[in-house]
Amino acid sequence: MTLVYTLFSFLYQTGDAFAFLVLSACGLAIIFGMMGVINLAHGEFILCGAYVCSASARAGLPLPLAILAGAVAAGLVGMVIERIIIRPLYDRPLDTIVATWGVSMIVTQSTLIILGSAMPGTGTPFGSFAVGPYSYSVYRVVLMAAAVATLGVLWLGFTKTRFGILARATIQVPHIAQALGVNTGLIYSLTFGLGAALAGLAGGLYAPTMTLVPTMGSAFVVEAFVTVVVGGADIFLGTAPAALVLGAAKAALTSWQGQLAGQIGLLVAVIIVIRILPRGISGWILRERA
Amino acid sequence: MLRPNPLSRAIALLEGPQTQGRGTPFWASFAVVVAIACAYPLFADGYDVGNNVYFFNWTFMALGLSLIWGYGGTLSFGQTAFFGVAGYSYGVISINLGDAYGLTLFALFASVAAAALFAALLGYFLFFGRISGVFLGIVTLSVTLVLERFMAQTAGPEWRVGLARLNGYNGMGSMPSLTVPWFGGDIVLFPDVQLYYFTLALLVVSYLGLRILVNSRFGNVLVAIRENPQRAEMLGYDIRVYQLVTFVIGSAFAGLSGVLYTSWGNYITPASMNMTAAALPIVWVAVGGRSDLTTTLIGTLVVLAGFQALTIHGSQYALVVMGVLLVLTVLIAPRGLIFGLGTFLAKCFHHKTTAGRE
Amino acid sequence: MMKTLNGAMTALGLILLCSGAANAQEPIKLGVLEDQSGDFAAATIGKVHGIQLAAEEINAAGGIAGRPLELVVYDTQSDNTRYQEFMRRVLQRDKVDAVFAGFSSASREAYRPIVNQFDGFAFYNNQYEGGVCDANMVVTGAVPEQQFSTLLPYMMETYGKKVYTIAADYNFGQISAEWVRNIVKEGGGEMVGEEFIPLGVSQFSQTIQNIQAAKPDFIVTLLVGTAQASYYEQAAAANVNLPMGSSVNVGQGYEHKRFKPPSLANMYATVNWIEEVDNPQSKAFVEKWHKKFPDEPYINQEAENSFLAVYLYKQMVERAGGSTKKDELRKIIAQGDVCFDAPEGKVCLDPKSQHMSHTIYLAKVNDDHSISFPKVWNDIKPYWLGEAGCDLTKNDPSAQYTPSSPPPAAN
Repeated sequence: MTLVYTLFSFLYQTGDAFAFLVLSACGLAIIFGMMGVINLAHGEFILCGAYVCSASARAGLPLPLAILAGAVAAGLVGMVIERIIIRPLYDRPLDTIVATWGVSMIVTQSTLIILGSAMPGTGTPFGSFAVGPYSYSVYRVVLMAAAVATLGVLWLGFTKTRFGILARATIQVPHIAQALGVNTGLIYSLTFGLGAALAGLAGGLYAPTMTLVPTMGSAFVVEAFVTVVVGGADIFLGTAPAALVLGAAKAALTSWQGQLAGQIGLLVAVIIVIRILPRGISGWILRERA
Repeated sequence: MLRPNPLSRAIALLEGPQTQGRGTPFWASFAVVVAIACAYPLFADGYDVGNNVYFFNWTFMALGLSLIWGYGGTLSFGQTAFFGVAGYSYGVISINLGDAYGLTLFALFASVAAAALFAALLGYFLFFGRISGVFLGIVTLSVTLVLERFMAQTAGPEWRVGLARLNGYNGMGSMPSLTVPWFGGDIVLFPDVQLYYFTLALLVVSYLGLRILVNSRFGNVLVAIRENPQRAEMLGYDIRVYQLVTFVIGSAFAGLSGVLYTSWGNYITPASMNMTAAALPIVWVAVGGRSDLTTTLIGTLVVLAGFQALTIHGSQYALVVMGVLLVLTVLIAPRGLIFGLGTFLAKCFHHKTTAGRE
Repeated sequence: MMKTLNGAMTALGLILLCSGAANAQEPIKLGVLEDQSGDFAAATIGKVHGIQLAAEEINAAGGIAGRPLELVVYDTQSDNTRYQEFMRRVLQRDKVDAVFAGFSSASREAYRPIVNQFDGFAFYNNQYEGGVCDANMVVTGAVPEQQFSTLLPYMMETYGKKVYTIAADYNFGQISAEWVRNIVKEGGGEMVGEEFIPLGVSQFSQTIQNIQAAKPDFIVTLLVGTAQASYYEQAAAANVNLPMGSSVNVGQGYEHKRFKPPSLANMYATVNWIEEVDNPQSKAFVEKWHKKFPDEPYINQEAENSFLAVYLYKQMVERAGGSTKKDELRKIIAQGDVCFDAPEGKVCLDPKSQHMSHTIYLAKVNDDHSISFPKVWNDIKPYWLGEAGCDLTKNDPSAQYTPSSPPPAAN
């Protein structure tokens, strides 16, 4: 029986790390992976989602609706930022670094000034369950399901819906899409907004489990970036397997040698994977140019 | 026909297609600026002199990044790794060897060499592994973060190299400042007038040296690689070697920044290698105008001084204003604020702007 | 002179208004270098407020030795390099008489060389891992021997002898964990596990599992930074349900106010003061604080330290006949009776280490996150440095020591 418990524990820990990486990364995978914008303000979209979610939940909204409210709020903010700041920078990806770094500073400091240095949390729902000698939080399993569901919904959205096909076309061959009558400006806004909304969703989902401070986005940013880059340009062929590989490495090292080994091991895994597959995982799978 | 000797050849390379500024007006203003900088300690108080040395310390890292990114086209997000390696090396070596007989100067060279060696190893890994673009940025960022996280937990007494304790997150301190051996008593370079001249001299030499480098054949090939790597390769250049050498030189400059900072403040900490610290050089260089040494230099100094002034006078709004400035810079002056300003001024005075690269 | 907009302007205005008799005198300048933005802001904004409140009271009562107290405040943005820049500025350009500076130990170690270089006088008003033996520094923060020698025997007596430590993986966490190890061993207890978490980590699933595997009687949590505080929420969600002891949480980052009950239930924190302390002078202090700063989210122990430090400085200067020279003030400290009736109780400066004695309150977080105080210890001295060989009345090593790296044997 101990083998079953250990196996479950291993699956749980890997799934937990996988969920964190997927949820942190999928918004960035759209904004960075698909649109080429190096979004250093990614953490701030997560912050927006987390704060709106907590505020709505404390105001009485049931938690699932509050999380969605956070995602929608982040999406709207994303669309505004895209229109004003990002739109002129699509052909200058490296300048998006400076612009989004500036946005990040503005948002973090404004949140501190307006909302104070910390916000009260909402508490994690659903309680716990036990398998063998350990008890686990049910909500973490919900997060794992949410990660998988998000990937599934995104895949369906990008391959089966009209918007998804238009978005992919616009990003890959904007001039042809425009020539075919697609409103590329609107598509860009909506896609960026979708990426921001996914970041807000991650913020809302993790808000009940974390401290809510203006700088909380920084807990997600590095891991989101490395996952997206290791994955390569495609979300489904890249980000998901990258999250799995990196999540497994991190969980295994953390369980074997502790949190420091997990953190450093994740970064070392990034370096190794990129060295072996210089175009990321999806680049290797598709053998396309990046 | 007599071949021109190397010195006059080098001087001829001070101007060229890869750098802004040529002809008598430019060099005259350059001489004036250097003269003012030399005279500055005569009419500024001790605090301002030391504060300016602090700004100069960071310019080397910016110049190195300009070389790697502006001229070489490689976005290295991890220059702070070399900053940290050199800073800690300086601490370790100078604590163990002491500051007599000019050994701190040896420590300076050795630390920069250590950073360059580390850059050579990492660069070999990156460029000969054909890693490029954003992937290279992420790998270099990962390297600096690994170093930061690793060094942050070296707090225990077992983490020492000889007499020097690494001391983890709290940082390594009490290393001696750079000391120049002199007749009648060593000169300890505290953040004061002597350190100011030392750093200023290093800065002028580095700036001129880099100008010569980027305008030389090496620089031409480098820019060609930046513009179109495949074409450069097809013309027969091994781009990996050029990229590697550029990376090593640029990272050595980052290491020089690290040593100067560590000596200035007698302190180095893993936080100098974290995400925020890694993003700052990119912001300075991008604001100034990364594809030219002069604009990078001016831009870095302006951003550093500006941000410090904002923090002093702007209280909690400082960070908001800084963010707004960065966004405006990118939107209004895409090739860099100083570059844009320079082009604008040049147009105003009806001088030909350097055609160089379009 | 450089000032922040809100606080110091108020102070200056009040100085001009109230110190009618004193405005002919030159002001005494106090530099304040604290993180009002960035990662550490949640715990440190209160410190600036404490200093402003004390300055306002002192100036209303006539200033220090008849001279008004003027604050020179800089926001160090949770960035060590800003501490270096502004410490130089405050000592060289603003020429302040004393500086109150620093939250993280890294920031203190960054500015200490500069304070030594200019022979300044700096107050570090934060709890930390102990061991700074430097004549230019006065430390009013609590140190491990004060917090753990009180907490651990109580916890071991109440809950059992098997202890699991989770600590932030840097100097403060590692040295505090060392103290815990030593005191647990002395008390006949057993460390069933020790885990070090790098700063900035916010996901604790594996740690929670390790704790459950080790089955301790109580956990010592030395978590630093807002990200690591997420542990409490996640542990409660996983139903870890063990008593916890801490020297740093609750008192500094007021987790019990930010996380939903009952995630911090059964947490015991040894603090030198928190806003829930229930005696008349403490209540009066909280009331006058809230009058001046109605939006303050929480008055933590660092804020109280900063407040009383201003009064300690006032006492030193007045007893030195109005002189702010460091050597004169150190002579006063060496007399051994620089004490003050602080909101926490009576505190005194120890001449050998220039650290401060504290009243230690054992704060217990109840199920609804209200606080009760099962025990109070009065006048716990910062004994370790003096015992280990640091004696600032005799020499000034300007170094930081730890239990495993104590001062070299006296000659």
